[in-house]
Amino acid sequence: METFLHQLPIVVNALNVGFVQTLKLFAVTLLGAFPLGLLIAFGSLSKIRAVSMFTSFIIWIIRGTPLMIQLLIVYYFPGLVLHNPIWGGGEQGRFLAASLAFIINYSCYFSEIYRGGILSVPVGQTEAGLVLGMTKRQIFFNVTLLQMIKRIVPPISNEIITLVKDTALARIIALQEIIWAGQAFMKGSHGISGAIWPLFFTAFYYLVFNGIVTVLLARLERKLDYFR
Amino acid sequence: MPVLEVRNIRKTFGRTEVLKGIDFSLDKGEALSVIGSSGSGKTTLLRCLNFLERPDAGSITVNGEVLLDCADASTLRESEIRRKRLHFGLVFQSFNLFPQYTALENVLLAPRLLAKENHEQFADKERLNAEARELFADIGLSDRMNNYPHQLSGGQQQRVAIARALIMHPDILCFDEPTSALDPELTGEVLKVIRKLSEQNTTMIIVTHEMEFARDVADKVIFMDGGVICEQGNPREVFSHPKEERTKQFLSRYSQN
Repeated sequence: METFLHQLPIVVNALNVGFVQTLKLFAVTLLGAFPLGLLIAFGSLSKIRAVSMFTSFIIWIIRGTPLMIQLLIVYYFPGLVLHNPIWGGGEQGRFLAASLAFIINYSCYFSEIYRGGILSVPVGQTEAGLVLGMTKRQIFFNVTLLQMIKRIVPPISNEIITLVKDTALARIIALQEIIWAGQAFMKGSHGISGAIWPLFFTAFYYLVFNGIVTVLLARLERKLDYFR
Repeated sequence: MPVLEVRNIRKTFGRTEVLKGIDFSLDKGEALSVIGSSGSGKTTLLRCLNFLERPDAGSITVNGEVLLDCADASTLRESEIRRKRLHFGLVFQSFNLFPQYTALENVLLAPRLLAKENHEQFADKERLNAEARELFADIGLSDRMNNYPHQLSGGQQQRVAIARALIMHPDILCFDEPTSALDPELTGEVLKVIRKLSEQNTTMIIVTHEMEFARDVADKVIFMDGGVICEQGNPREVFSHPKEERTKQFLSRYSQN
């Protein structure tokens, strides 16, 4: 007990540092994947066959392979295969590589959700806009978009909660996120070694954060309840 | 000179020829009702007039301007369709109000967007708002302007949809079975609004299954069957003394009900 109380503040401090990195990756991924996903969704919905086939192909590759492998490829491919280590060796390089892999991966998943959302808005909405002389762009931003958002909040919520936990995969390229920080206490870190409880303790962080995310998303869902 | 001249409109979907050469014209202030069984091409005709479908052949002329002539590629440019469309208004069977906007916002959305693009017609905000309020008074919904569509009955939604079309000042207002999605009780209030419009000499094309209404309101009636105009003329004549066998059959089915 005494050792635990001694270790606790040290572990919490280290885990906090790791969790900041986790949150940064989480936030950057959302910021990048929300708009990029929309762009990909437009590609999938394009009437130009070459465009829609190309995006389908990309989505197939990204959804069909493990995110962990994608992380390794994004991080190591430039250096090992192209002999051009664009990421550098430091934590910042690892973070940029992880961000890129996560954004690409999540925007593909988001794009499919967006696509479903756009297609679920009745075609009569677009036609009503057209006969009123609105452009397709005006119709999308003023009519379709909010109706789409309302429909996709539940499936996107699922993805967001998965993303919180998926950030742990970045450990594979040694990004110093919270799992990495917890695991370090097994080998030895901050004068503590052979301790496995810090690793288990990381789950608590995820749990609390996902609780907050869930509440916020439920609030958004309620906010969009004003129309049908 | 007629407001609208439609010549030889043809439209094929896949292997089905839905419109097999439609010709008619409409004078300013006239109300035309289009009747006929489902699948006779009535809705497709309205959709062609509103540029929601492009006909395979034929021409549409409004106030002497050829809006569309399938034989003349210069009239088919995408970029001009938007402007040409504004000659027509369309009220849908399923209302198609925008659910996230209040009734008033539904009416004002398009003119406000056009005003941002320097359409002088809608530039005066005060006048636009005043006009919207007038329209709501006309349709009897002044007290429901700030309601969302889902808070309105079907009949009220359709009346808002009519106001939304009217604020654009189309030369020709089209109705695509405006009461088919409504129960009989709500049908009356929508028909009343349309009737009032015809009394104000609004140029209208009304596709409808309400035979009595088609006869009373219209200055002219067209009976469509199998993608062609089977019979057209003065409503009293067509309804009381149809010349074509097919028209008689169709009308007799209605009088039986």
